[in-house]
Amino acid sequence: MLRMASSFPEEVLEHVFSFIYDDKDRNAISMVCKSWYEIERWCRRRIFVGNCYAVSPPMVIRRFPEVRSVELKGKPHFADFNLVPEGWGGYVYPWIAAMATAYPWLEEIRLKRMVVTDEALELIAKSFKNFKVLVLSSCEGFSTDGLAAIAANCRNLKELDLRESEVDDLSGHWLSHFPDSYTSLVSLNISCLGSEVSFSALERLVGRCPNLRTLRLNRAVPLDRLANILCRAPQLVELGTGTYSAELQPDVFSSLAGAFSGCKELRSLSGFWDAVPGYLPAIYPICPSLTSLNLSYATIRSTDLTKLVSQCQSLQRLWVLDYIEDIGLEALAAFCKDLRELRVFPSEPFAQEPNVSLTEQGLVSVSEGCPKLHSVLYFCRQMTNDALATIARNRPNMTRFRLCIIEPRAPDYITLQPLDDGFGAIVEHCKDLQRLSMAGLLTDRVFEHIGNHAKKLEMLSVAFAGDSDLGLHHVLSGCENLRKLEIRDCPFGDKALLVNAAKLETMRSLWMSSCSVSFGACKLLGQKIPRLNVEVMDERGPPGSRPESCPVEKLYIYRTVAGPRFDMPGFVWTMDEDSALRLS
Amino acid sequence: MGRRGSASSSSSLESSNYPALSSRSSLYQHNRDLSTDLRLGLSIATSSQGNPSTPSVSESDWPPIKPFLKETLAAEENECNSATFFVKVYMEGIPIGRKLDLLAHDGYHNLIRTLDHMFNTTIIWAEMDGEHSEQYHVLTYEDKEGDWLMVGDVPWEMFLSSVRRLKITRADI
Repeated sequence: MLRMASSFPEEVLEHVFSFIYDDKDRNAISMVCKSWYEIERWCRRRIFVGNCYAVSPPMVIRRFPEVRSVELKGKPHFADFNLVPEGWGGYVYPWIAAMATAYPWLEEIRLKRMVVTDEALELIAKSFKNFKVLVLSSCEGFSTDGLAAIAANCRNLKELDLRESEVDDLSGHWLSHFPDSYTSLVSLNISCLGSEVSFSALERLVGRCPNLRTLRLNRAVPLDRLANILCRAPQLVELGTGTYSAELQPDVFSSLAGAFSGCKELRSLSGFWDAVPGYLPAIYPICPSLTSLNLSYATIRSTDLTKLVSQCQSLQRLWVLDYIEDIGLEALAAFCKDLRELRVFPSEPFAQEPNVSLTEQGLVSVSEGCPKLHSVLYFCRQMTNDALATIARNRPNMTRFRLCIIEPRAPDYITLQPLDDGFGAIVEHCKDLQRLSMAGLLTDRVFEHIGNHAKKLEMLSVAFAGDSDLGLHHVLSGCENLRKLEIRDCPFGDKALLVNAAKLETMRSLWMSSCSVSFGACKLLGQKIPRLNVEVMDERGPPGSRPESCPVEKLYIYRTVAGPRFDMPGFVWTMDEDSALRLS
Repeated sequence: MGRRGSASSSSSLESSNYPALSSRSSLYQHNRDLSTDLRLGLSIATSSQGNPSTPSVSESDWPPIKPFLKETLAAEENECNSATFFVKVYMEGIPIGRKLDLLAHDGYHNLIRTLDHMFNTTIIWAEMDGEHSEQYHVLTYEDKEGDWLMVGDVPWEMFLSSVRRLKITRADI
C-alpha cells in the first residue's frame, strides 16, 4: 500500500484532489498520510472558518498557501438579537491584511457577523487583482465609501452581496463608481441600504452587464422605475423589488406587468416593501415558475396573500409575515406541493394580544400537505403537544425546526402542560434533525428526550427552559453531533458544564447568558482545558470583584488552536491560567 | 480528545469526579441553590415580578427577530399611527408625479434637501442666494385657491395648511 501511494506522481494526485470540494472530504484526504497532507494543502482553494477566533490568519496561511476563496464567521448567532454587546470583536481587518500579502490571487471573500471597516474594503479593492465575490452577511462597521472603493477598483467583480449588513449610508453615489467599462456583474444585493442610488447609473449598470442574474434592490427604488430596470435585464433569475407601492395607474401597471412577463427566467422574488394589493397581479404571469418568494416586508393581508401563493405551484421556499394566517397556510398546503422551506415572521412582535388568526393549525396544515417540507421557522402565540406530535409524524424528514412562541414559557394552551412531549415527538420521529429551536414551557424532560433521540442534532437554541443542571447534562452527554449550543435564561449552572467539560472541545461553541454558571466554574474550565477559550462577558465590571460563586452575565466558550484573543473590549475576560492569576 | 459516553442517569452528575479536570477547585461549591442567585439580584428562572410565567425580558432581545425586520415592522407601525401628509410633486417634463410626506420634514431646508436628492437637481427657493442658471430648478406650489406660488415665502406651518401639490420647473423664467 505504501509503495502504491508513493509511486503515484504528485500531479496525478493533485488532479484527482481537484475534484473534491467538500471540506470534510478534503480534511479526510489530508489525514491519509504525510504526502497526501502535503499535496492536499498546496491545492486546497477554498477554506471555511466557522469561528474566526478558532484559528489565526498566519496558521491558515502557513498550511494553505494557495487559497482562492475564504469564508469567515465572527460573532455568535445570538448577536442577531442584541445579546452580544457592541465592541465584542469579530474584526476582519487582521485577516485581510494577512491575506493581502499571502493570497494576491484571492477571488472570493464571504463574511458573516463580522466587523468590516472601510479600510478593510479599500485594502481588498487594491490587493486582489482578480477579486470576484464579496458577500457581507449581517456585517457592520463600514460605509458606502468602502463600497465605492470596491466598485471603482474590482474590474472582475461578479458578486456584491450586502445582505442584512448595517452600512453607514452616506449617499447613493457609490454605485456610480463602477466604471463604464465594467460589465461583469452577475449578482448585486443592496437591499439593506437606505439611500437612493442614482437610478440612471443603476439602469446603465444593469443594461451593460449581460450576465446579471441576481438583482436585489433597496427600498428607495420606487415602483415606477422597476419596469425600466427589468426591461434592461430580462435574463434575471432573482429579483428583489424596491418599494412595491404606488398610486394605481393603468400605464404604470401595464408596463410593470409587461416587464415581468418578459423575464422568463425569473425564479426568485423578494423586496415588496409597503406592497399594495393592486400591483400584485403584475407578477401573476411569472408565479407558476417561482421557486422562492420572500414576502417578509410585505404587509398585505391574508386574502391577497392566499390568492398569490395559490398561483405559485412550483414554490419551494416561502418567507412571509403572519398576515398569511391559518387560511393562507391551508392554501399553501393545497397548491404548493413542492414546498421545502417555510418561515413565518410576526407582524406585531411586541403586541400582547394576537393581531392575526395564525395558530398552530397553520403549521399542521402545511406539514400535512407538503411532503418535502423539511425546514421551518415559525413565530406564533399558541401551541399544543398534539400539534407538535402531528407535525412530527407527518414530517419525519424534517431537518431544521425552529419554533418561537412569543410569550416565554407558554404551556400547551389546551392542556396547560409543558410542551416536553411535543418536542419529544419531534426529535423521536425526525431522525435527521440537524437544527432545533424550542419554545414554550419546557422542563428537564424535554432535554432527556433530546439527549436520547437527537443523535444528528448539530445546533440547538434554548430559551427560558429547563429546571436544573440535569437538562443541560442530558444534551451535552447525549447529542453526539452537537456543534453549536446557545442558551439564554435557563437555570443551568456549573455541574453539567464541569461534568461534560471534554464535550466542549468537540463543539464549535457554547453560549450561555442569564444562566447560573459561576465565575469559579468558568475559571476552572478555562484553566484546565487549554484548547478552549472561555470568555466571560460582564458589563457590571470585573468578575473578580464579585464572589466566586456569583453567576456571570454571559459566557461564550469555543474551541481554538489560536489561544486567547487580544482584541477583546473591556467587558470580556478570557479565563485561562494567566487571567486566573490576574483576576483573583 | 476523549468524548464522554452518553449517560442519562443523574448519578454521574452528582459525583464530584470530573474526568476532564485533573484537580478539583476548592472554590467550587456543590450545593448552590437558586436563593443565592435571587439574593444576588439576577433575573433567572422564577421571576420576582408577580406572574411567574412572564419573566422580565427586554424588547431589544425578545422575541428573536433580526434588527432589519424589526425596524421595518416598527416603521410600518409608525406610519399607520402617526400623522402623514402626502402631496404630489411633479417635475417638468415627467408625467408621473412622486409622492412626498410633508410631515416627515421639519421645515423648508429639510424639504428642499429631500427634493434635491429625489430629483437629482438643485432647487431655488425664496431663501436661496447666488446666481440662477439654467441648471437649476424652481419650486412652486399650488394652494387651496388654485394659485401657483413660490415655495418659501410664508412660514412653514402656514405653507402646510394651504399647499395642495408641488411643481418643479426649469429656472429660465
